[in-house]
Amino acid sequence: MKIAVISCIHGNYEALNAVLSDIDDQNADKVYCLGDLVGYGPHPNAVVEMIRALDIPTCQGCWDEDIVEGLNACECSYPSVLAEKRGKLAHEWTNQVIHPEVREYLAQLPLSLRDDNLCFVHGSPHNQHEYLLPEVDAFVAMERVLATGADILFCGHTHVPYVRSLDASQLQIRVKLTGKSEQDMSFSAPLKRIVNAGSVGEPRHGRPNATYVIYDTNSDQILLREVEYDYQKTCAAIIEKGLPPIFAWRLARGLEFAERADDPTHVCER
Amino acid sequence: MQSFNITLVSGPPGVGKTTWIRQQVNSAAETVVYLNLGSGNTPIDSTYLATEVAGLTVLPVEQLPDSLAQPLVGSAVYVELGFQIDPTSLILPDQMADCQRVAVLPPGTRHTEWHDWADLVVTGVEPGVALSQPHLWRSVLSGQVLDPASLNTFWYELTNGAYGTVQRAKGIFDVADGRSLYFDFVAGLAETTDLELNLPLWCNGRPDRFSGIEVVGEALNQEAIAETIKACCLNNQAIAYYQQQIKDSLELGDEVA
Repeated sequence: MKIAVISCIHGNYEALNAVLSDIDDQNADKVYCLGDLVGYGPHPNAVVEMIRALDIPTCQGCWDEDIVEGLNACECSYPSVLAEKRGKLAHEWTNQVIHPEVREYLAQLPLSLRDDNLCFVHGSPHNQHEYLLPEVDAFVAMERVLATGADILFCGHTHVPYVRSLDASQLQIRVKLTGKSEQDMSFSAPLKRIVNAGSVGEPRHGRPNATYVIYDTNSDQILLREVEYDYQKTCAAIIEKGLPPIFAWRLARGLEFAERADDPTHVCER
Repeated sequence: MQSFNITLVSGPPGVGKTTWIRQQVNSAAETVVYLNLGSGNTPIDSTYLATEVAGLTVLPVEQLPDSLAQPLVGSAVYVELGFQIDPTSLILPDQMADCQRVAVLPPGTRHTEWHDWADLVVTGVEPGVALSQPHLWRSVLSGQVLDPASLNTFWYELTNGAYGTVQRAKGIFDVADGRSLYFDFVAGLAETTDLELNLPLWCNGRPDRFSGIEVVGEALNQEAIAETIKACCLNNQAIAYYQQQIKDSLELGDEVA
């Protein structure tokens, strides 16, 4: 069975359409979405309506949560005051245009999804705002996967796709119980993987193309897909709808609308 | 009449006028005085040279008449002309009538007004972007403290065309960790030069020293540039927070202002 995993659409309807067409071409049997349907891009309502119409199982992203709950993140969401100001502009705009039923839909999205030995989250199993960057400490990475009980953890949020194998990990822990002496324990963890689906609507890999992944459960193969689309249409809509023109300039260069955290050692404290 | 060792230096933006003057200063045996005509209230080159070139005396333009009236014996004076100043239309004081005229021009430049004007033509560098109608935009930022990560983002956007075609950009910025940074970009050359100026860390309130930016380009979206710079600036609370961190992490001494 082929499973397509998409993430971080960010109101980019043109990109979503192109990716869904590519998923059809790849004959995928199922599609999962890792959230961030809205934010920054010019078509938040249309994106949510498309996801709902196709009944794509979706977990809640950080932007989806922020539109429902209001902005509430630790500093990892914004690595600079400029990014923060731009993020708040985008939040304010999205908050104004979002339809009530879209907000309700975003509010009820689950934080994670399971399919057999696969787990799907937006940022990390801890919360939607935490970045599992490819360079994150191996122990932290393994802990995040083990916490789910799955063999493959699919995530997004970083906007850069990657596959990371956590192979034959030796874990050492020290257990201290009240009234008892410390006990050192070690054990081996089986092969686990983290698969980041990249971003459909807000890529950060230096090109405007959308990215997503296809996992073939039969062959155990993971395929990173990069899909061209008419990003100029999205850029034009950004300007037409009154979003900051710099978002269009950055989207056209695969730079994200606002830059993201780069510190792999940062553990989200939200 | 007393004669003076004065050199006027002119040329288009980004060709290396300041760099050439710095080379002359480094090889000069005598005291060197530098003035910049045309920088107005954004003396970026003057500030940069004053902090980075030992043995150089930088004078504000308004002191030119005094220095001509009471010249330093045995000193050489370099006067850099902004690219927007037409050197052929300059009316020079009598004391400067015999000055040397140097034009710094891109390689291969021929038969220009600079050639008619100059006693010496120096080959500079070729900016990677040619402008049909160069436009100069500049802004004083003194007292502002910028978030370094935001500054880097803004500078990347500026020098990659987000706010119009940029041939030349330079600036001096006070940043959150107390440093004063010099940024220098010429289109088509190597990446932006960024340099920490040899100035004390500023740890007490808004900096009382010059900072500013100058951009030469075409179709510049001045409003967007100004808005973005404003969005990079820290408020009083944030400035105080970072300055306290600097004080806590440093042994305070003479190097802290």
